[in-house]
Amino acid sequence: MRQKQLRLITTFHTTADALACEKACKAQGFSGRIIPVPRQLSAGCGLAWSCEPELEGEFAGFLKEHQVEFDEMAVILF
Amino acid sequence: MDLAKNKTTLLISGAILGLIAVILAATGNPGNMAFCIACFIRDSAGAVKLHTTATVQYFRPEIAGMLLGAFLIAVVTREYRSTAGSSPMTRFILGFIMMVGALVFLGCPLRMIIRMAAGDLNAYVGLVGFVAGIGTGIVALKRGFSLGRSHETTAAAGAVLPVAWTFLFILSLAVPALFALSESGPGSMHAPMILSLAGGIIFGIVAQRIRMCTIGGIRDLILTKNTDLFAILAGFFVIMLIGNLALGKFTLGFSGQPIAHAQHIWNFLGLYAVGFAGVLAGGCPLRQIILAGQGSSDAAVTFVGMFVGAAFCHNFGLASAAASAEAAGGPSMAGKVALIIAIAVTFVIGFMPKKK
Repeated sequence: MRQKQLRLITTFHTTADALACEKACKAQGFSGRIIPVPRQLSAGCGLAWSCEPELEGEFAGFLKEHQVEFDEMAVILF
Repeated sequence: MDLAKNKTTLLISGAILGLIAVILAATGNPGNMAFCIACFIRDSAGAVKLHTTATVQYFRPEIAGMLLGAFLIAVVTREYRSTAGSSPMTRFILGFIMMVGALVFLGCPLRMIIRMAAGDLNAYVGLVGFVAGIGTGIVALKRGFSLGRSHETTAAAGAVLPVAWTFLFILSLAVPALFALSESGPGSMHAPMILSLAGGIIFGIVAQRIRMCTIGGIRDLILTKNTDLFAILAGFFVIMLIGNLALGKFTLGFSGQPIAHAQHIWNFLGLYAVGFAGVLAGGCPLRQIILAGQGSSDAAVTFVGMFVGAAFCHNFGLASAAASAEAAGGPSMAGKVALIIAIAVTFVIGFMPKKK
């Protein structure tokens, strides 16, 4: 079984925003991957972006720069 | 107990839901139907006389139970969030389209799994269409399709559907003469009320905790390679399969299946429409009920779209006929035309050029 580790999880208001984030990250070589929204963060069933917690400060700016609106960011064990 | 702790607990949770369906089928619900969201919404629409097809009229306690179960558990776990404002009328149309597709196939995606577990090969044809529809929806999402974000609204707004539906259900028990009740056909076949209600409540609670969604399970598999939601469906399928084998209700084949037809192209297209419209609406018919229960007015509008859609399907002869010894069954000409239009409308919704 995969070992859980601290990750920076970014959730979005819409699935389109999550996929836009993935597209921007892949194009710019920003690390991370798209995941289903962790249950402890939302009762929804949308998508989220998971990346290293150290990127917390930088990632919000990156999303703003690429005009991707996000809901919240949280560092959790995932 | 955390039902969503890991894949094993998700698999077990899916199996518990499958067991509920097996028990309800064994105690009176129609064969191979057991726990079909589309069929139960359609029967409920008939019960309040939105349509007058005499064989499919019964205010199904399962739907009331699911809404109530999801609502109560969301309140208890503080996950109740009253939200609204994400393209309500488009959601209404998508709900309507899901119901047209489901009633051409003769079942929602949950019944597709139930039929698959009973050996109905027509359901496997439907599965191919369902996955293709989800795939088309994902392409639309990747091209930027969005219904827009929802916003927090007054706490009471999100409770309107669960409360109103519970009121209707109590009314159906207190003054049954107000409601239509089938004397023959699928609507007349049902488990004891208290068992159906309890099954629905437990189903609603568990499905809310584990985020069960037939579309989400396949969408996540395609988009993220994550199998969490798929594990639930697998657990549901396996327990249904075991139940059918144990009860001698497993019959492998295209013909002789209860409340089904073998018109392959229409089985494919019916669930194609459900998968496609469901991805755009953010969840399958089952998931819409759970989301509505936990406070989403947007999901409630999608539910109402399905409810009205079911009535239209029967009033305008769009629902398919089941195959019998005398007839091959399948959709009417009106049903075929409606489904083609429904798919075309879904394409327009999903691929309409965005304003820059």
